[in-house]
Amino acid sequence: MGIGCEQVWVDISDYIDDDLDPNQRAALDQHFVECRRCTALLNGTRNVIGLYRDPRVLAPPDGFHERLYRRLEENTTSSRRSFLAWALTAAAAVPVGLALFSVRRLMLPTHDKGTPATERDVRQVPETVAISQDQDDKVFHLAGCSHLHGKPTFLSVKEAIREGYTPCIYCIGKAQPKKNS
Amino acid sequence: MEGALIDRILSGHKELFMDLIRPHQRTVYATVFSLLANKEDAEDVAQDALLKALARLNQFRKESTFGTWLIQIAINEARMRNRRQWRIPMLSLTDDKDKDHAKAYVPKDFEDWREIPSTALERVEVRDALVKALGSLARHYREAFVLRDIHELSISETSAILGISPGAVKSRLRRARLMLRDILAPGLAQDGRLGWAFKEVRKPWE
Repeated sequence: MGIGCEQVWVDISDYIDDDLDPNQRAALDQHFVECRRCTALLNGTRNVIGLYRDPRVLAPPDGFHERLYRRLEENTTSSRRSFLAWALTAAAAVPVGLALFSVRRLMLPTHDKGTPATERDVRQVPETVAISQDQDDKVFHLAGCSHLHGKPTFLSVKEAIREGYTPCIYCIGKAQPKKNS
Repeated sequence: MEGALIDRILSGHKELFMDLIRPHQRTVYATVFSLLANKEDAEDVAQDALLKALARLNQFRKESTFGTWLIQIAINEARMRNRRQWRIPMLSLTDDKDKDHAKAYVPKDFEDWREIPSTALERVEVRDALVKALGSLARHYREAFVLRDIHELSISETSAILGISPGAVKSRLRRARLMLRDILAPGLAQDGRLGWAFKEVRKPWE
């Protein structure tokens, strides 16, 4: 006795994939000879699978390749830019660091906290320094110094000295004890 | 050939990447579409996946084919997009996996079934109808169908990529094939225009 349509519907996908044992396959073969409905199902399913395998179906939209190429270019360029920016920053940081180091060693040993700096002393300090609008300590700082409290005002070193400001011992250098003459 | 191209890209010739992925663009796009069922999102995510593949090319171990490796990246990328996006859950009668697997599927009987010739695919509306029909299936059916019937991966490869048993792959594949056949089997009208099934995607099993 042959198999029924319901069994064919269960096995038809494995039949298409040739994934049935020979007895099962023979049973389905026999059923297809006798059943017009299941034969239509088999042919229709194969037809649909064949259509979807066509490379024209689900192909990327027009311009996909070009848009991808542009994104690839942008990514590559931005990577180069990032690297360049990093390299320039690193290169710029070296002389700044050296300058600050030099300021600490060379500039301030000659005067103490209470002694107004002279133009000669601050030759290594950047042209612009910061003072606090909220403190009355008469100290000028490098921008970003942790001892600069309150709202900063920026002015030239010459101006700061002229107004009686002294350099911060933390961001610019430690003051040496004042020598008694 | 493909291996040599990969080696050259890794040695700095990134411009060759476009040559490497050209034959795989459809694979990646179709894979992403099978998860997202949205053409606009699919392009965006497919491109993200390909760029990610370039960034991770040094991690390709050549244990699988390059195409299969790309499919895995595409699936991960599409799943990430699905997780990131706030989506209103879509109810579908085909989405109840347990219920689907428990009962036999009864295919629709089309007495006037006509074969759709491959020449019909020259028409954009026919291609769109196929995409729309696929998009109407629940995601787990789309995934199994795309990997097995479009990319022609084996049951075990599909099982490994989707993280499900070979039996579940077969079961989902059977459903997907029969449902697509039910949607598309009425084929083209006698005068060559689209038949009723192409005018709107129907779900005969509903």
